[in-house]
Amino acid sequence: MKARTPAGDIADLMTMNLGPSHPATHGTLRIFTALDGERIVATACEMGYLHRGFEKMIEQGTYQQVLPYTDRLNYCSAMMNNIAFCKAAEGMFGVELPERCITVRIILTELSRIIDHLVCICTNLVDIGALTNFWYFFNRREDVYKIWEKLCGARLTNTVTRIGGMYRDVYPDFASDVRAVLPGIEEAVREVRGLIEHNKIFVDRTKDICIVTAEDAISWGWTGPCLRASGVDRDLRKDDPYYGYETYKFDTVIGTTGDTFDRIMTRIYEIGESVGIVHQALDRLKPGPINSTDARLMMPSRQQVYHDMEALINNFKLIYEGVRPPAGEYYDAFEAANGELGFWIVSDGGTNPYRIKVRPPCLTQYAAFGAMVEDELVADAAASLGSINIIAGELDR
Amino acid sequence: MVFKPTPASVTPEVNLGDAFVTTRVDAVVNWGRRNSLWPFPFGTACCAIEFMGMVSSMFDVSRFGAELVRFSPRQADLLIIAGTVTYKQAPVLRRIYEQMLAPRWVISAGACATSGGFYDCYCTVPGIDEIIPVDVYVAGCPPRPEAFLEAIWQIQQKISGEAIREQKAIGA
Amino acid sequence: MSGAHHGDHSHGHAAPARPAIQPGLSKERLREILESRLAAKTDSRDLRGTTVIVARERLRDAVLLLRDESDLRFDQLLDISGVDYLAFPGHRGPRFAAVYLFKSTVFTHRITLKVEVDEDDASVPSIHDLFLFANWAERETWDQYGIVFVGHPNLKRLLNHHEFIGHPLRKDYPCQKRQKLSVNDPMIDQLEARLKQRGYTVLEHGVFEPGTPMTYHDKAGAAR
Repeated sequence: MKARTPAGDIADLMTMNLGPSHPATHGTLRIFTALDGERIVATACEMGYLHRGFEKMIEQGTYQQVLPYTDRLNYCSAMMNNIAFCKAAEGMFGVELPERCITVRIILTELSRIIDHLVCICTNLVDIGALTNFWYFFNRREDVYKIWEKLCGARLTNTVTRIGGMYRDVYPDFASDVRAVLPGIEEAVREVRGLIEHNKIFVDRTKDICIVTAEDAISWGWTGPCLRASGVDRDLRKDDPYYGYETYKFDTVIGTTGDTFDRIMTRIYEIGESVGIVHQALDRLKPGPINSTDARLMMPSRQQVYHDMEALINNFKLIYEGVRPPAGEYYDAFEAANGELGFWIVSDGGTNPYRIKVRPPCLTQYAAFGAMVEDELVADAAASLGSINIIAGELDR
Repeated sequence: MVFKPTPASVTPEVNLGDAFVTTRVDAVVNWGRRNSLWPFPFGTACCAIEFMGMVSSMFDVSRFGAELVRFSPRQADLLIIAGTVTYKQAPVLRRIYEQMLAPRWVISAGACATSGGFYDCYCTVPGIDEIIPVDVYVAGCPPRPEAFLEAIWQIQQKISGEAIREQKAIGA
Repeated sequence: MSGAHHGDHSHGHAAPARPAIQPGLSKERLREILESRLAAKTDSRDLRGTTVIVARERLRDAVLLLRDESDLRFDQLLDISGVDYLAFPGHRGPRFAAVYLFKSTVFTHRITLKVEVDEDDASVPSIHDLFLFANWAERETWDQYGIVFVGHPNLKRLLNHHEFIGHPLRKDYPCQKRQKLSVNDPMIDQLEARLKQRGYTVLEHGVFEPGTPMTYHDKAGAAR
């Protein structure tokens, strides 16, 4: 189309779609751009190509049946979604989890954060053209998948937690397996940093590209590594700690400029911090019960069920009806790999959730993306889309 | 289910000399096609991550000659739909399929692509065979990379059984 | 505790160091401020006790107060959610509510605003100019519930396709009622609106081919 630019000259603009069938499997997004040569002058972003009706489907089943749906939100770090949802549901009950459960959940959370960052970084680098890192990081992801398989049978979509605890306790060699995996992850991060951090091509492609200032990031509602890359030191694990995070020693990684380089490097450094947390959590892992004994959430032991009428009825009701949170509304937030993952749950006291609203961390990032890439080159848009880690399962629900 | 290649002796021919040449050409062409599949990963959701796992060095799809993923339908011959397809995405999928040139094969990977998965609601297509013809379905949520490789192997078996004459007649 | 600056590449404009997060006000105090200043009332349904119901006429004032007041500083809109109380047992009152979740990067406190609207007049003033994220959050709430946000520049569907009729998260929308899409939304109009916003004047529109409408092969038993 022909248009008169703000400067007054006539430009021949080309309209082009980036997506919804997008290379590097970033999911199904569509960025409709108007280009002046290679430069993007206007964007109209569209989403919803993976809208699967999470919020409608969960109203059809019980609270425990929500868990498999949560896996498929941010499918790169499925366990974090499980843990986040269980944390919200347990908050409604006001139940205290045993020490061992909390420590195991922290280990799983941080390992999930690590593998989410691994996949985000390596696919982002593939978009930029640095293909080798994809294989280096994916092999480390496979190492962690082996642990997931031994733990719960599934590699990707785990459904490993239950409201009130875990699906089952960790297997006997879990701690040594996890300890064995961590040096490999650190080595892979060292290798990748060696390949990109001082690589002129990488730096030129990502430095000062798609800068998002701190004020803009805050107004857009950004949370997580993208907000921290813009220089805002906010992390739920530090600001509003849960699960004993205040007793763990780790740094918050903060960027300086908020460009694509910062967003990528923030994640790389965060992997290192998460490895530290996992080491500390493994040191604290002590034998003990893994699940809460709250009768509203967990089934009583077989012996009790066979000998006590109350326990029998409790068992029956939990199997047939599932858990029933008290009627009311409750919002709980969790520091997921992308930022603040929140669940706003409305319960009517019944067996099925009345309403669950997922607060997806990457929706805020994608909402800003259109404005972020205007006046950048098309190639920069491709490089920056990976840096904000859009997972369509979470974005579109 | 395993696709058994059509034995050469069963192919009906008019005279022996012609049949010999045709089946030899078939064998060579099919050998070339099945060992150099160029996949188009139409990855929408979680199954795409397991697809990436298949491409990674642990499961190594390049043993099968199919590591050269091409994100242009003009250059690809194997369309792998990995993930849920919603109604919003359906016209896009159809267009991609229509833009692919013959010969082309389709793998529907995962429960969501095959049947809508457990998303039985207002927005998901209950199986992509409402939109495009599918050659191989892969069960799983998500299927393991080994299951993806089995699907590619089954496509290879199917290709081994193809005959050029039949294809020209069908216009495939 | 801040740390881990990957220092030697930084150019001139480093972000100014922010003070650590402050504790913020208690939820009782927050409710008190909102009740006295905006005639809000605490929502007893909230198990945390941090939700207040404001009248829709007061919504913009409430949001400005929350954002700009020096000891409140709720500078992040986390999300806007809709709720349909149609099937809620024992519910008396308006059918819909729009729920605004706020967070602060200065203080640790949080607050939730709720605006209740009736079915026949489901409209709420838009706050898209107060928070950049409200633009898309309001679109989603309209898409799923049909609550109109008055003053929104582009109240179009966000999650469902453009040929969708109805609002699927409403309790009276059957879960499995599928609606097929024939042609994708071209979005030329939205792009041209954005160009105009950025100071471009479109002189000659491009040629646009909408594409053939989709037909679906319904499998036996699939259509419900």
